[in-house]
Amino acid sequence: MNILTLTLIEARKIKRSKILLILAASILILWIPNIINADMNFQMDDIGISPENSFFIQGFMGMVWFIYPAVMVICTVLLIQNERTNNGILKMLALPVSTASLCLAKFILLVALAAVYTLASAGAYYISAALASGIADYDFILAPEYVLPMAGKLFLASFPMLTVFWMIAVLITTPIFSVGTGLASIVPSVLLINTKIWFLYPMCYPFYILVTEYGNLAKNMSSSPIEMIPWIPTAVAVSLACLIIACMSFGHAERR
Amino acid sequence: MSLTLELKKIKRTGFFPAFLAGGIIAGAFPVINTAARPEMFTSMSGSAAEILMSANYETIAMLNLLLLTAGACILYHIEYAGNGIQKMQTLPVSESGLFFGKAFLLVPSFFLMLCIEGTAMFFCGIHWFGESVRASAIAGSTAVGALAADFLRCFGFAFLLTLPAALLLLLFSSLCRNMWVMLGIGIMCIFLATMLPDDNFLISLFPFAMPFQTYAGADRDLVIRCIIAAVSETLVIGLIEIILIRIRRLFA
Repeated sequence: MNILTLTLIEARKIKRSKILLILAASILILWIPNIINADMNFQMDDIGISPENSFFIQGFMGMVWFIYPAVMVICTVLLIQNERTNNGILKMLALPVSTASLCLAKFILLVALAAVYTLASAGAYYISAALASGIADYDFILAPEYVLPMAGKLFLASFPMLTVFWMIAVLITTPIFSVGTGLASIVPSVLLINTKIWFLYPMCYPFYILVTEYGNLAKNMSSSPIEMIPWIPTAVAVSLACLIIACMSFGHAERR
Repeated sequence: MSLTLELKKIKRTGFFPAFLAGGIIAGAFPVINTAARPEMFTSMSGSAAEILMSANYETIAMLNLLLLTAGACILYHIEYAGNGIQKMQTLPVSESGLFFGKAFLLVPSFFLMLCIEGTAMFFCGIHWFGESVRASAIAGSTAVGALAADFLRCFGFAFLLTLPAALLLLLFSSLCRNMWVMLGIGIMCIFLATMLPDDNFLISLFPFAMPFQTYAGADRDLVIRCIIAAVSETLVIGLIEIILIRIRRLFA
């Protein structure tokens, strides 16, 4: 079986898991307060950011700092635990399919969920920007040529984070530890984006990109370009290492 | 009876080690944070407890809530995983007893976690604020004792205000068969609490917003109102769980 078929099978497995409902609800919780508080964006004079840019940054800031990583941790839990119920994973492992490709198929599905989430967030941004424009009588809507590439950048930057979450979920079979480690690893990113070693911590990449963008958009904030050199090689190395470790150890606990 | 049963069930799930590790990580946070830039904090005005709490408590509360979510999730996951809950329902054990047995596991573990964090904060106070603590000590009481009392009040307050969230998480957990649904609801509630404005008293009574309140710097009136609200919310959530269990049994 090729990897595409396997991924489609995995996608069918989570059909009734209500995960899309969870994703949708989290996006609602993110954007509704932003619509209600839209007029706060007019009080940004001391930072020197225009209201429409501020609306965009504030909304996406809430997403990348907490709810996006947290929802992705929940997705890894879903992908792993869904098959543990009634020992479905044992049947899958008994099939003549390599465990590495099974693991990869599930990871591709995780990436697909992340892509859906980012796209849906961009869509929700446009809906809420339109609503806020109507309420505040001010045009909050930014051009898609700016918003979509930005969302794409955030998605790409979150790829190493997804591999780390996936490795945690595969390696740590005790649910409380895998969930706890995943969720707790989100919190330090607030501190790490202000340090020089931010590129060593994959969980803060999307947040770092958005904060840098904030600095670029605001006139009165210092902005520095993202240094690609230690970052990109580290990100690639971390992603590859995590994926290889995850694929090698997938199903280990069950086969013992 | 329920409690000893629950203790046995939780034995191999890593529940206690997780809370211990969580406490140590959350306790390490203020130590690292203060050690990284001590001048910034010691030069601030206010008591040692106030400065340390305002600099670190929000992150600690976040970590506490996230770990409580994972803990509450696991307590009922072990029942649902192998249909253990059905066996429990056939036993002469009341289902609400099951819930409160689990609550009596969750709450003391959380308490243990808070103790570790409080000790870490106390250490920070002694180590970096030693001089100012001694200078501002009230006559008659020793400086170190006063600082310890400050932190005892802060963390006692934090414990009471986190109780409703802990019970509510356990309630979600008892209602959701699939752990990711419960995690999703829990995470969204925590996220909602971080998005809510903090200047409105009624909104700050949302169970997941309350753990982010700090005792240090708050006035006496507000503290008393918060404690009353926390205790009554805890009781109401317990009552709701009892009712929900009855309703669910009608439709099972």
